[in-house]
Amino acid sequence: MDFKWKIVQDYADLFLMGGWTTVKVTAISVMIGTVIGLFVALGRLSHLKPLRWLATIYTDVIRGTPLLVQIFIVHLGAPKLIGQSLPAMTSGLIALSVNSGAYVAEIFRAGIQSIDKGQMEASRSLGMTYAQAMRHIILPQAFRRVIPPLGNEFIAMLKDSSLVSVISLPELTMAGRTVLGSTARVWEAWLPVAAIYLTLTLIFSRLVAWYEEKLSVKTHR
Amino acid sequence: MKKWVKTGLMGILALGLLVTATGCGGGAPAGDKATAKKTIKVATDAAYAPFEWKNEKGEIVGFDIDLIKAVGKEMNAEIELVDTPFDGIIAALTNKNVDMLISAMTITEKRKESIDFSKPYFVAVQAIAVKEGSPVKKFEDIKDLKVGVQNSTTGQYVVEKLMGEKSPKIFRYDTTPLAMNMLNNGDVDVVVADKPVVQHFLKNNPSAKMTLIDDTSFEKEDYGIAVRKGEGELLKQVNDALDKLEKNGTIKQISEKYLTGK
Repeated sequence: MDFKWKIVQDYADLFLMGGWTTVKVTAISVMIGTVIGLFVALGRLSHLKPLRWLATIYTDVIRGTPLLVQIFIVHLGAPKLIGQSLPAMTSGLIALSVNSGAYVAEIFRAGIQSIDKGQMEASRSLGMTYAQAMRHIILPQAFRRVIPPLGNEFIAMLKDSSLVSVISLPELTMAGRTVLGSTARVWEAWLPVAAIYLTLTLIFSRLVAWYEEKLSVKTHR
Repeated sequence: MKKWVKTGLMGILALGLLVTATGCGGGAPAGDKATAKKTIKVATDAAYAPFEWKNEKGEIVGFDIDLIKAVGKEMNAEIELVDTPFDGIIAALTNKNVDMLISAMTITEKRKESIDFSKPYFVAVQAIAVKEGSPVKKFEDIKDLKVGVQNSTTGQYVVEKLMGEKSPKIFRYDTTPLAMNMLNNGDVDVVVADKPVVQHFLKNNPSAKMTLIDDTSFEKEDYGIAVRKGEGELLKQVNDALDKLEKNGTIKQISEKYLTGK
């Protein structure tokens, strides 16, 4: 097989810029998604029925429809809804954050529910309000338990963000498509892309493992 | 247990292969190849009306499709169409997933490095689509604007030549209709694409306030049918068929049906 290194070199900055955009888009979406997810999880566990319903509808709709469709709806639907189109970056971030929020909500819900009921009962009997008990007792414990699945979500989003290439957002997959389109060379276009994704996911999974370790030390007796 | 899963997976795989293999055989029993007509697999990106698109029944139709079927008839072969995204279409041919390409594909020197083309069967030019009231008058005017193109098309190449291959103002989309939608959306200021396709889009979307600008400075582009390098015999048969279809007026007929008619 004749692999033309020169093509990879020629397009190196396109690949690297694409990788950087992918990291940025993923980090921002998962961060916003985590905030959305936390509130939606609390909504799902709330005693207020309308809040519970809203949170359930949100997670069901988002998890029940493909991300690709959500990207198209946000981007092509925005002008019809707000009378103005959004930059591809904005639509991409909205679609990815909203998507991430639904998955993170379920992660948080499971985390909160995994904390023993007695913790809440004990906090309440000490005179804390429900909100105080949640904030100071339940959530800190739950947070430690959700670190591994949150790391998974980040890695999944890093890869799923490739879908925003359909609206020509210049991220990593778009770089591959551009090179394939210009050179019609398959390996030279997709191997660098795969290598960059792999590098990113490996770095991140190690970071998560390290952070998990760091948090767990404190609790060892 | 594990063995059972493995057997199941193999079964599904085998079934999948069987379905693919017989999918377009018109009900002919598998393994009956000796008596059946030979089948030529042809890739096309069916999102490029009026040359190739999917009608409401899901069938691929259009100028190119009528043409390739006529070519197949001349060659006494069955044409099996494979819908393939345009940015991967040349790879589909060189990887032997298909035997031929027909997809409003312009014959270019660069593409000739990896594939062989038949004689030209159609001449097209690029056109510029803009929103109504745009100040753009000619191709040069788009230099500093945001330009939408379909990835891997000659539209992309002419724009890259003007603005530089790595210009951040070039936006590449999967299909020309998607690029046109993005123009309507305001994502891009202009779209550069093959003229018949832009015309077709405008005709079918009268509510989209867009117009087409002709720039006579665009070079004429010849569409060709592509085969793998070294398939001289196949190429000769295709060229002979095209000659015949040209002489007996079939190509003109197809052209009237899809381009000038209605």
